[in-house]
Amino acid sequence: MKNADGTKKSRLTNPGLPWSQWQLLDSILPTGGFAHSFGLEAAIQTRMVCEPEDLKIYVVHLLENTGSLLLPFVYSAFQSPNLQTWYKVDKILNATLTNEVGRKASIAQGSALMRTAASVFTEIPSLKVMRQTSLGTGVVNFHHAPIFGMICGLLGFDSGTTQRAYMFVTLRDIISAATRLNVIGPLGAAVLQHQVAAIAEDLSNKWMDRPLDEACQTSPLLDTVQGCHGYLFSRLFCS
Amino acid sequence: MDVEMEDLKTGTVVVEKVMGKSTATRCFSKYPLKFILPRKVGSSQTDAVWIYALTYGGGIVSGDSISCEFTIGDGCTAVLTTQASTKVYKCVGSRCSVQIYEARIGIDALLVVIPDPVTCFSTAKYSQKQVFRIMSNSSLLIVDWITSGRHESGEKWDFTHYKSTNHIYLEGDEPLFLDTVLLEQGSTVTIAERVQDYQVLAMVIILGPKLKHVQTKVQEDVKNMMSEQLQLPATSLRRYSAPSTSHSLIKPSFLASCSPFGPQGSGVVIRIAAMTTESVYRFLQQQLASLEPLVGVLPYC
Repeated sequence: MKNADGTKKSRLTNPGLPWSQWQLLDSILPTGGFAHSFGLEAAIQTRMVCEPEDLKIYVVHLLENTGSLLLPFVYSAFQSPNLQTWYKVDKILNATLTNEVGRKASIAQGSALMRTAASVFTEIPSLKVMRQTSLGTGVVNFHHAPIFGMICGLLGFDSGTTQRAYMFVTLRDIISAATRLNVIGPLGAAVLQHQVAAIAEDLSNKWMDRPLDEACQTSPLLDTVQGCHGYLFSRLFCS
Repeated sequence: MDVEMEDLKTGTVVVEKVMGKSTATRCFSKYPLKFILPRKVGSSQTDAVWIYALTYGGGIVSGDSISCEFTIGDGCTAVLTTQASTKVYKCVGSRCSVQIYEARIGIDALLVVIPDPVTCFSTAKYSQKQVFRIMSNSSLLIVDWITSGRHESGEKWDFTHYKSTNHIYLEGDEPLFLDTVLLEQGSTVTIAERVQDYQVLAMVIILGPKLKHVQTKVQEDVKNMMSEQLQLPATSLRRYSAPSTSHSLIKPSFLASCSPFGPQGSGVVIRIAAMTTESVYRFLQQQLASLEPLVGVLPYC
């Protein structure tokens, strides 16, 4: 095909890739992320987050903790997107997510993502096969981070994009939860998301490409607060 | 253990049943560590070996490296504790201090780790790792905690680096609990900002059949305590521009949450953030009081 001035139109080497990327990161993908507030609901009820300024601080701490604790799992699964690695990484993550609220949320989101990806990305039949092989066996918990990394690896994303994308979906979901909890309005949320983007980029760079044994949590207060979700008198979210 | 291996270890303790009683059959320690095993703790009915870990000079000096191994034999009970809070002194020449404990706990054995908190002084760099390898029916209680520093001198979360790792493995190297907390002074976010007004962070792990009663009580107590604090429904706390003097905006001074972990929820982990060290000591006294028959005295009294 040619442009109006006669020059050749450039074609993508992997034409489906950007469309898959956008679809995976779009909140409309049915992965149930909307059911989780990442401890924000509990943070509000423990008066840790009262005003939009507190929210920004909370979001930054959450992103750093996501980077430090979960990016290694995204990265490991991304590098070797096969059954054996998935099982191994999932098992280690299960022992690492010591907070039951967080652990259950991860399993719920991971299961939903795997089910959706297996149905949507039919050009990767191994997704469906791996899912069918593993369902109901109890050998894998279907945690979110390894499944996310594995899907990105199989779709052909690059490593940096994959890890940034994981941070992005976390940011996307916490901002969304904040609007539903009425801490901030939808426009303010969009403004905040853009403000935090530069920080999210720095954090992604800081924590990406690390081995599993470097996974750590950098916000123990967040972990404590998230664990209180079960004690909340009235709740909107599962976690 | 042959002589070369011994040189690598700062301390070793082996506890085995001798004539039906838990007994330390081996106890070795070298500078900067000293183990003290008092003969009599509790009544003559108590079957427990108490191990006090002391550091020369009362604290960990920059660059110190401590590596210990503990073996708790089948059916035995051992308690590992400190005489005072572990002070980590200021960093000299950017050398990080390291402490590594590795423990093997046998079938039906119990290890209780109840130290005083770690206090890192300004600019300190400290890393600790505790690895526990347990068998079926082992019981384990671990308290791991840190205070913000020397509050009297105005040092609050003023250290450079603190890392604490706690790993629990079942037989066959199966990971059961893998946790690492990292508090590092950042250029954009300080540790104080991460921890906000809280001055003490604590984690308590309770696992195994001998501690079921402790688990049940702590889960119930924490749930009740926190539910009281959180009773206000979310609607009344939603503020865009409320005055910050409003009573409902005061943070709880003691925050705790309990989480089961492991197959069939065999373990429980409690995470605590508190504004005073005393409140955590009180909590630990109350929750661990039922350990007295097992270990001989009331912990943290």
